[in-house]
Amino acid sequence: MENERKLTIARAMAEATAQEMRIDPRVFVMGEDIGELGGVFGNTRGLLEEFGKQRVRDTPISETGFIGAAVGAAQDGMKPVVELMFVDFFGVCFDAIYNLMAKNTYFSGGNFTVPMVLMTSTGGGYSDAGQHSQCLYGSFAHLPGMKVVSPSNAYDAKGLMTAAMRDPNPVIYMYHKGLQGMGWLGTEAGAINHVPEEAYEVEIGKAAIAREGRDVTIVSIAQGVHHGLKAAKTLAEQGISAEVVDLRSLVPLDRETIRASVAKTGRLIVVDEDYHSYGVSGEIIATVTETNLADLKAPPKRIAYPDVPIPFARVMEQYCLPNADKIVMAAREVCQAPIPA
Amino acid sequence: MATDIVIATDLWEGDDECVVTAWLASDGANVSEGALIAEIMTAKVQYEVIAPATGTLSIVKAQDEVAAKGDVIGSIS
Repeated sequence: MENERKLTIARAMAEATAQEMRIDPRVFVMGEDIGELGGVFGNTRGLLEEFGKQRVRDTPISETGFIGAAVGAAQDGMKPVVELMFVDFFGVCFDAIYNLMAKNTYFSGGNFTVPMVLMTSTGGGYSDAGQHSQCLYGSFAHLPGMKVVSPSNAYDAKGLMTAAMRDPNPVIYMYHKGLQGMGWLGTEAGAINHVPEEAYEVEIGKAAIAREGRDVTIVSIAQGVHHGLKAAKTLAEQGISAEVVDLRSLVPLDRETIRASVAKTGRLIVVDEDYHSYGVSGEIIATVTETNLADLKAPPKRIAYPDVPIPFARVMEQYCLPNADKIVMAAREVCQAPIPA
Repeated sequence: MATDIVIATDLWEGDDECVVTAWLASDGANVSEGALIAEIMTAKVQYEVIAPATGTLSIVKAQDEVAAKGDVIGSIS
């Protein structure tokens, strides 16, 4: 373990950004409290000190203004990295995000590209109520014109961040607050892993097999991957071998990896901290059933957030969230009750 | 001889306890003096813990455990 170099996701994101800023003068960072504070979730720490106020810009609380400005800068040859502090705040700035950022390349017949990264925090579990705790993966992934990624660990966080900054398309970079390594949001030990110092890319649109298994496939993203890994450990003790697929990217979606895994295991459970209906979990299930229905030995299951605004009360919120126990229950069910041939 | 990793008493005012929010080196790993090895937090402010010596890390206070100023959270031997 001589060369071990463990980082939190927060540090991995900041390192990727700093390394890209050193080699590409077009990259700059903008957002609320991303300068002197280093980001509420730690992901821009150290940037202001190294690059100064021209390239690391604290903004007023005006998401419509600064995200709109970033779109203009991107079309004019810059590569902005902007932060929407909580994804829940998307309502005020969605015209800039979805009518400008996502569509201007199309509207201009390809004459403009919009190479920008929109970082935004997702997820709950720490009683911050319904306007600070959503994931909204499906809301963004549903809308064409933007790539959407979300890392589950520091290694992927750095590689996806570098890939996002180098991508000519707008990329929504969603990071789960519970994985940042900021103590007040809880610490997920599995998210802190070895990160090479030199810059590298993790391909956007390529899922990872976080754990191999034979009996059931658990598909998830970000925090849900860790729930899946914990469940897989428990299931292994009960004689059930679970495979965990970490999507890493929702757009593009790596449908091949999902289908190949289900072809092997015959059973599918989707874990999604976003709302149950009309979302990511339904899309993953359709990905399998549309083309590979015969691979399934049991009906697919989803463990997603119930279709209610997120409660503030701790017991109510914890009751609603996906967790390893719910996955274990679902896996036992699908493994013991196969559909008769 | 082992060198203790101690929560410095002058990092913040008052006697509030902190939480070990992240170990950035594993138990049993080799660490170098001056390397960032852990993060601790109190009142939503994080502080860095730097290795006081070169050697093998032994973790005493695990991630998410509470520590007070002056507490030993690990040692390097």
